[in-house]
Amino acid sequence: MDAIRTENLTKKYNLGWGRGRLLALDGLNLQVREGEVYGLLGPNGSGKSTTLKLILNLVWPTSGTAWIFDVPCDRVVSRLHVGFLPENPYFYRYLTGAETLGFYGRLCGMNGAALRKRIDELLEMVGLTRARDRRLSGYSKGMLQRIGLAQALVHDPRLLLLDEPTAGVDPIGSKEIRDLILRLKAMGKTVLLSSHLLGQVQDVCDRIGVLNLGKLILEGEVNQLVRDQHRLSITVQDLSENARAAVESAVATAGGRVVSVEHPQTTLETLFLDALRKDERGAGDHD
Amino acid sequence: MTEARQEWVGFSASRVWAIAVNTLTESVRQKVYLILILFALVLIASASFFSQFGFGDAGEQVALEQLKFIKDFCLGAISVFGVLIAIVGAAQLIPNELENRSIYTILAKPVRRFEFLLGKYLGSALLLLVSVAMMSAMFGVALKFKGDNYLRVAREAAMHGEDRGSIEEAARQAERIRAAVYDPDLVKALLLAYMKLALLAAITLLVSTFSTSMVFNVAVALMIFFVGHLVGAAKERWGESGVARFLLVLAPDLSVFNVADDVILGHAIPWVYVAKVALYGAVYLVAVLAAAHFIFTEREM
Repeated sequence: MDAIRTENLTKKYNLGWGRGRLLALDGLNLQVREGEVYGLLGPNGSGKSTTLKLILNLVWPTSGTAWIFDVPCDRVVSRLHVGFLPENPYFYRYLTGAETLGFYGRLCGMNGAALRKRIDELLEMVGLTRARDRRLSGYSKGMLQRIGLAQALVHDPRLLLLDEPTAGVDPIGSKEIRDLILRLKAMGKTVLLSSHLLGQVQDVCDRIGVLNLGKLILEGEVNQLVRDQHRLSITVQDLSENARAAVESAVATAGGRVVSVEHPQTTLETLFLDALRKDERGAGDHD
Repeated sequence: MTEARQEWVGFSASRVWAIAVNTLTESVRQKVYLILILFALVLIASASFFSQFGFGDAGEQVALEQLKFIKDFCLGAISVFGVLIAIVGAAQLIPNELENRSIYTILAKPVRRFEFLLGKYLGSALLLLVSVAMMSAMFGVALKFKGDNYLRVAREAAMHGEDRGSIEEAARQAERIRAAVYDPDLVKALLLAYMKLALLAAITLLVSTFSTSMVFNVAVALMIFFVGHLVGAAKERWGESGVARFLLVLAPDLSVFNVADDVILGHAIPWVYVAKVALYGAVYLVAVLAAAHFIFTEREM
């Protein structure tokens, strides 16, 4: 069974006052398999958020249909097993972290000791235990994103829809959110996330789809897509100049061609995270 | 796979209640609300102080005038601040949710749109209930504080009367003052005032289901509020002709809830009248919420 399936999903927005209609999504056929992390990528305005809103029945398709676990999206039941994190959420600024989760838990029919236990679990999971009694108006962007994720998880849904989960969050926060997504995947959850931060989704997504101007223009497994089939890179340590010349000639005799020889570079992100890890005062905005 | 198909999400009162309590909590923690209600309470409490001028031992007439002034002032203050809280509170409910995107997180849960709407409305009705109750309590304290003073003076006069006639007259005066202070019709006036505010909040919510601007909501709600007070007079004037009569039946007649002036003047308000007005309010409320539901479920977020 697919976690999400859409057939010819099309959305046109009326611009009003005779200015015509904007084609936000054009005949999308999407399949997200249960248990995978699927990344919906694309520039701003490509139809990512519209897709998520259509799946959640917040807006209605001009044509086509979408299903969640084989239940049509226009039925309330379809949302029983879905958690949603919108883009740049603010939630209720006057509620504390724990109160926020309590509210969303009650919306999902939870209460009493079970709910209290779940709130503790979730706060622990997203690293906000110490900020539990602080109001959300005092939360940083990264903390809001994490409480948003906890809110989406409150009823232990099988499917998570995350709209730009790492946008506007610093590299540590972003790393934590990605680690959390991987943990959820390990727990067997299905995740559909949208993003325009390509570097960040590469290590969490199993499959990606690229949307542009409302159309799916590329789709596939991340490993397959980014692999250069004709090239191979070997990283070696402590190689002398002579040995290197020998390797290059061996490559040449075998019929290959050395394209480049260079020192591997670390990413700026790894460097940044390393530097912060070494700082004894701790890192970032953590509660 | 039929597991999901067999599940059913029906209307849930506990979800509505969760949304209502959340709305109430959100509102009472806002500085705007706290300042508004504090100001109202201070103003109402002060009524018993700045009504003092003019009264020495001048007797019953002055006492009754002063009590009338306190009632007039306090009921007026409750009405004005009630209208402010009702309109400003209800006008921001949906625009705020949209701006914070919190409405997405709620509707992404297995929540029906009607449950959301009803929860939001109940939250604002609860906020009004709390506000009117606090202001009424303060009004009661102010009235009792002042009234008991007059009553003591009048009773002392009755005790120290020189002859039987003046003693009886002083006792009758004391009784009239007591009746003015502990007037059960004041409760009816407050009850009807609350009903009016609750209806006004529903109308404001209805307006906000088809607009996105809070300023627009407040402006339209205020307009409806003022027009609503003219409907009664208009019915008397033009109520006979067909079209006008139809339009006037549709418009909310808010003047029927205003019994404060009659109560202050000492005119009796029968319970039958209160019940009739309550029924009118309830029917109108259901119609307004039904219209809000109809518009809101058809609205894309």
